[in-house]
Amino acid sequence: MEALREALSIGRPVALWYEAPHLRCLVEVPSEPPAPGVGYALKEFRVEMPFGVTRGSFPQVQPHLLAGEFPALDWFEREVGEGCGEALKPLRNHRLPYPFDRLEGLHEVPVGPVHAGIIEPGHFRFSVLGERIFHLELRLGYQHRGVERLFRGKSLEQALLLAERAGGEPVAHALAFGQAVEAALGVEVPPRAYQLRRVLLELERLFGHLGHLAGLFTDIGYAYAATQVGRVRALLQGQLERLTGHRYGRNALWVGGVGFDVDSQTQVEVRGALARLAAEAEAHLAAALKHPMVLDRMRYVGSVTQAQAHLLGLVGPAARACGIGRDLRQDDALYRPFTPVVRPGGDVLARAQVYAGEVRQSLAYLDRFLGELPEGALADTPAAPFGGDSREAYSRVEAGRGELFYWVRLQGSRVERVKIVDPSFKNWRALELAVRGMGLPDFPLINKSFDLSYAGCDL
Amino acid sequence: MTFLWQTWRTGLLTRSLEQLFRLPAWAPGWPVLRPEALSQPVRQELGQLCPSTAFSEEEGEFRLDLAKCVLCGRCFRNYPQAVGELRTLEVAVTRREDLVQRVDLATGSLVEPTPPPPTRAELHLPTLAFRHVSAGNTGLDDTEVALAGNPFHDMSRFGFSVVASPRHADALLVTGPVSQNMREALVRTYGATPEPKGVVAVGNEAISGEVFAGSPEVAGGVDKVLPVDVYLPGSPARPASILHGLLLLSGQARQVLVGGVLWVGR
Repeated sequence: MEALREALSIGRPVALWYEAPHLRCLVEVPSEPPAPGVGYALKEFRVEMPFGVTRGSFPQVQPHLLAGEFPALDWFEREVGEGCGEALKPLRNHRLPYPFDRLEGLHEVPVGPVHAGIIEPGHFRFSVLGERIFHLELRLGYQHRGVERLFRGKSLEQALLLAERAGGEPVAHALAFGQAVEAALGVEVPPRAYQLRRVLLELERLFGHLGHLAGLFTDIGYAYAATQVGRVRALLQGQLERLTGHRYGRNALWVGGVGFDVDSQTQVEVRGALARLAAEAEAHLAAALKHPMVLDRMRYVGSVTQAQAHLLGLVGPAARACGIGRDLRQDDALYRPFTPVVRPGGDVLARAQVYAGEVRQSLAYLDRFLGELPEGALADTPAAPFGGDSREAYSRVEAGRGELFYWVRLQGSRVERVKIVDPSFKNWRALELAVRGMGLPDFPLINKSFDLSYAGCDL
Repeated sequence: MTFLWQTWRTGLLTRSLEQLFRLPAWAPGWPVLRPEALSQPVRQELGQLCPSTAFSEEEGEFRLDLAKCVLCGRCFRNYPQAVGELRTLEVAVTRREDLVQRVDLATGSLVEPTPPPPTRAELHLPTLAFRHVSAGNTGLDDTEVALAGNPFHDMSRFGFSVVASPRHADALLVTGPVSQNMREALVRTYGATPEPKGVVAVGNEAISGEVFAGSPEVAGGVDKVLPVDVYLPGSPARPASILHGLLLLSGQARQVLVGGVLWVGR
């Protein structure tokens, strides 16, 4: 356990899960000496716990004590502790009692799980002092479908379907699952498939980000920008459909490669359409994010400091809007040269600017990827007899919302166990901090600026 | 000037129903069984090929459940003689069995379906207000419901709106396989909706549970919990199909699929 504590003090936790008889923890640390290009390394720590996670497994009796030192670990601990039915605040198991934080004398505003908008379910408990939010507590788990358990014993094709439905970003999930399986089986993805996968990933990021931005403009009552950005978003989604035949790119990625091909005519047409949409998106975003009304409504609202972002282990645009320049695409040779979009503000405006910056960046990469698509095979079929041996591997993908982690253990060609850590799982805590001191009516705006996936967190 | 130009262009965005109901050439359609070519080995291979177990064989019938299909197109690409492609977006139905194609193996032909019952007259209203409830959905069906209101689809021109409270709603749009943690919230939302009220199950997850059907953490379909008026298949349901489902509920459109195939008797 001391090793775990030491690991957490030098790096950012990526995943924590119980795999009998070990409690396994992956942390990302700056690599030494800093290699050019790749500046980070993953370190794994294992703590032996032969009889499972029980109350007291974590240091000094209380399951939440390690999280007291390392807040980034809080939700991980709640998740792991739930397996023994003794978590103090159960994350997904709604049969256990849930003790809400009570603040004596403050008015409580419960919201959800059924919300006013068209959105997934979650329960928010605000403690307010007049109009000011003093404290917010999130209770999630309403979307819990038992995804990780469903993976057990599934063939790779069936498991891929599950991965596509685990969280809000099907391409990123399919890619992360596919990469983990490929790493376990030693499959080499052909360069054309590798690049086509990144095309889909960037398209998904693009229309996801534009969706967040359109939602932000809707929430501040700026209907013109919301409609225009929403229009570009819908047309971009049409390009993803054009390439894969599915509006969200499901069924397009296979283990070992991709299940679709792009002929030269489609390639030219999609590239042309993207160039036109890029010009439109640029015009609308540049104007909207300088509009005095937008600045007035978004600046200094929902701030998260860089120190808080480090403590909570935030990932993705939420972290990059707090000045943390980490993006997993930095490690990908295909993207070089890559500079993450970073803004220091930490408020809603900073997040909107990061989204806008990444939209430009993604469009530029898409243009490059579609311009020089290598020829070659679309998929490498895994070597037929896998044998009955057990193999495991993990992979990480920078999804639109941040770092997505998959760990897979295969038994022959069947999935034995999977551990998924969706970026939303790590970022939900940021919302609790961001709303403190803000007015209650600002909550929808702040929530939208993170726009996290409930399904990905609840699994 | 720019503003006028943009407004004029935005005005042109809205597409007619005929345009919306046309499936793009690059999107795969739904599978449709061809009874004459369903020999024993082909049936067995189809059962093994389908990753979402949409094919099944029971009671002397070979069945294809469209609500379990993930529209990957593997079946009609690999067995074009046995499985055809049904290219329509008007797929909303009022009965669960209208999404299941049944081939009687003794006679080697599709089981003749009964004509669909009319939709409920008390919901044939000029405007309908919907309350959307996500009950364990991945989030994509929810997005598609929101996109059915975008300028391209513009569901408000047919009198449909999504309202914030079940008290103001005529019908619920439910997505997702109904996770156990959402079951009570869904039932209570239904209880808070005034009569007469309808329920639309949006997406395959909401109809059959799809890939989550075997999980103990989900009910495995909205109709296990609430009475459903319109089933709206898709993985996720496309905005155009959602429009068709809402038009069907409000009596402005006819049911096209009966017994899982295009209905000739309409």
